[in-house]
Amino acid sequence: MTPDPIPAQPVATLECRNCGAGAPVDEHFCPQCSRILMLGRHGDYFSFFGLPRRLVIDQAQLERRFRDLSRQFHPDYFYNAAATERLASLERSSYLNDAYRALRNPISRIEHLLAIEGLPPAKSEDPSTSSGQAASKVPPGLLEEVFELNEQLDEIRESRESGGDPAALRERLESARKPIDLKREEHEREVEALSAQWDRQAMASPAEKRATLDALRERLLERNYINNLLASIDREAQSLEPKAESRG
Amino acid sequence: MGKVVGIDLGTTNSLVAYVRDGVPQVIRDASGDGLVPSVVSLGEDGTFFVGREAQRRLLTAPSRSVYSVKRFMGRGIDDVRGEAELLPFRVGGEAGGVVRIGLDDREFTPPEISAFVLRELKQRAEDHFREQGEFDFEVDRAVITVPAYFNDAQRTATRDAGRLAGLEVLRIVNEPTAASLAYGLDRRDRGIIAVYDLGGGTFDISILKVEDGVFQVLATNGDTHLGGDDIDRLLVELVLRELDREQDPSHDAGRVLHSRPAEDIQAIRKAVIAAKHDLTDVEETEIRLDSLDYRRRITRGEFERLIRPLVERTIQPVRQALADAGLEPAEVDEAVLVGGSTRVPFVRRIVSELFGRTPHSELNPDEVVALGAAVQADILISGRREMLLLDVTPLSLGIETMGGVVSKIILRNSTIPASGREMFTTGVDNQTSVDIHVLQGERELANDCRSLARFKLRGIPPMPAGLPRIEVRFQIDANGILSVAASELRTNIAQTIEVKPSYGLTDQEVERMLIESFEHAQADIEARLLIEARNEGESVITATEKTLRRPDFPEIAAADLQPGEHEKIQSALDALKQVMGGADRDAVRDLTHALNHATQHLAEVMMNRGVREALAGKNVKDV
Repeated sequence: MTPDPIPAQPVATLECRNCGAGAPVDEHFCPQCSRILMLGRHGDYFSFFGLPRRLVIDQAQLERRFRDLSRQFHPDYFYNAAATERLASLERSSYLNDAYRALRNPISRIEHLLAIEGLPPAKSEDPSTSSGQAASKVPPGLLEEVFELNEQLDEIRESRESGGDPAALRERLESARKPIDLKREEHEREVEALSAQWDRQAMASPAEKRATLDALRERLLERNYINNLLASIDREAQSLEPKAESRG
Repeated sequence: MGKVVGIDLGTTNSLVAYVRDGVPQVIRDASGDGLVPSVVSLGEDGTFFVGREAQRRLLTAPSRSVYSVKRFMGRGIDDVRGEAELLPFRVGGEAGGVVRIGLDDREFTPPEISAFVLRELKQRAEDHFREQGEFDFEVDRAVITVPAYFNDAQRTATRDAGRLAGLEVLRIVNEPTAASLAYGLDRRDRGIIAVYDLGGGTFDISILKVEDGVFQVLATNGDTHLGGDDIDRLLVELVLRELDREQDPSHDAGRVLHSRPAEDIQAIRKAVIAAKHDLTDVEETEIRLDSLDYRRRITRGEFERLIRPLVERTIQPVRQALADAGLEPAEVDEAVLVGGSTRVPFVRRIVSELFGRTPHSELNPDEVVALGAAVQADILISGRREMLLLDVTPLSLGIETMGGVVSKIILRNSTIPASGREMFTTGVDNQTSVDIHVLQGERELANDCRSLARFKLRGIPPMPAGLPRIEVRFQIDANGILSVAASELRTNIAQTIEVKPSYGLTDQEVERMLIESFEHAQADIEARLLIEARNEGESVITATEKTLRRPDFPEIAAADLQPGEHEKIQSALDALKQVMGGADRDAVRDLTHALNHATQHLAEVMMNRGVREALAGKNVKDV
């Protein structure tokens, strides 16, 4: 397997390894000889799926398209094909699976849009895998909540260590969690609204579009921060739980 | 082109199946038995027994008979030390390397042992096709199933076993997914299926979404060391404890003495398995061991109390798989039972409770995986597109970064094929190579994950530190097996990658084993021929010595033998006896001939005397 060369500019067309014909980058099969095309350096999951760059997606339709493309690319169907076609099938299937995973989830869909629109990534951190240090700078929109919560958490921790009543502490923790939960809900509504706004802006000026993308990116950063806050509340709640009883 | 079959290479039993006229069927022996016990035994004369015969030898030659080798596939000796204790055969290997199984004075890796089972299945299928009058009966390709939760090393070991058996492994398929294919044949409807697969040695749970003939795995989870074997071990330990207590009533009931002979352990194992099977149908049975003068009643209730902790270990993986699939138990439309251990009524009850519905078990749980493998084999060779299996990788793939932390590149439950990229650079000026450690697992630290491979990226053009941009691409194929490619983006130079599997065999090792297995096949024939030659020599020696020892021999020699004939016989006899212990088959054969020749006249003399004596002793009237 020879690694594909990586030119500085994205490739505009693909070349069929079978017949040499050129094909647009979003084609999957050669328009001339209908063989499966090598992937080349593709970067846009939307266009790979034949979808416009919209953020509100019909899940059922996306799923159908995924199954449909799987049926066209899957290595199962290329066992007797030439080596280049087998490789192309492997590449396209992998890419399809990656693309589907990214587009299926509204948040990773936004992240992908930001990436292909040229905005630096606002990488989401899964709270279960991140060690919590991901977003170190507090987003300005959250300063008040973060300040309040940290104070609360410190007090609860202190009280727990000096033997405070766990039930009462759990209750305090619950009430400390409320504003964050509310913030998150509000936040989700904003992300939805911004996504819909982006979809309406197909004809808008570049500056207007850019403003929406910037707002989306800002929301994603905040979202990461909120998730980390919720994770730290969960960790604290965990340490308030009575020790798990050993089973007989 | 030869035939393509589907193979379920199980911990306890293996099966081979194929599709005829669109219908998958298990290939059975003359007695209708589809199961080939996954047991390999080395005979005293150096020949191998596989399957039922090897299984019988578990009782008579336990230290030369290997079972449950699947548990050792793709593993290191450090992983299996604990469970190797109760096994009657030798389990060894170097620290950090693959497990080696000792039989007599030979050593085998788990793929080599599995290859014996695969060869047996291949043979069974070829016999079957020959009997069917097929002109082209050779079986050269196969789809082989593995537990969904098998990691890269375990999958690769399975593929190596196939290669060693002379089979091109078209695809490694996950057992629960294969089972769903077998079940899905008649039901093209849509829905969420949960496949609960508790076999001899492994547990898998897979959640699938079926729509338009596409079987898409949403999530999978499991435990590669949980199955019927563990149930058997609990029962064996129960019996051992009681036997210990009988001998010494003060003996601590919690401890088991491991000092029993292997024969006893195997006899106990056989007896408890029989009792376990009984308890599927009856409420009470007996564990009976005549050889140890032991018998004991056991009720289903007691059995269930004993195995409850084991069976409950399946609950957490089921919950995790559902959570990963983003589903509640109530959203599962159908639950399917796979694996012999799902015959245990208690297991069925647990599954019913988990999903709130009675699970499917219409297809024989022992056979359904092989049937599914045959269906997949048929899809691959026929190019039929009405059914498609989209499986996932069970474990996250990552690389070790600074401080021993794992950076995940491909997350678990990603649909395969899947790919991932990671950028690397250098830390020192003019550094031309970078070490990369690939791991599989969900934990944060490299030490807690499974080491898959270490490799060196070489040939990086000399540049100031931090300048090279090396892109490493990881590709998991449809078998769930990893390959790696890399290039330096500034210079477009592809890197050489030497992947050294942490718990696997290199391609060279597999090649060498292939050659060795041919040599051994030859050696096995040699061994058999030598034994035959020795047997023949032995019988000539015995007959000759018997005659020479006769009290009347001096008299016979004086009367009937030529001068010097006795000496000639004696020297031929001595010469043969000299080579009998050696391995030179030709010498044994030639000297046997020589002794035969030297004693030919003597034999005639003795025969004539015998006839005369016989006549002399009898009345003339009787002649």
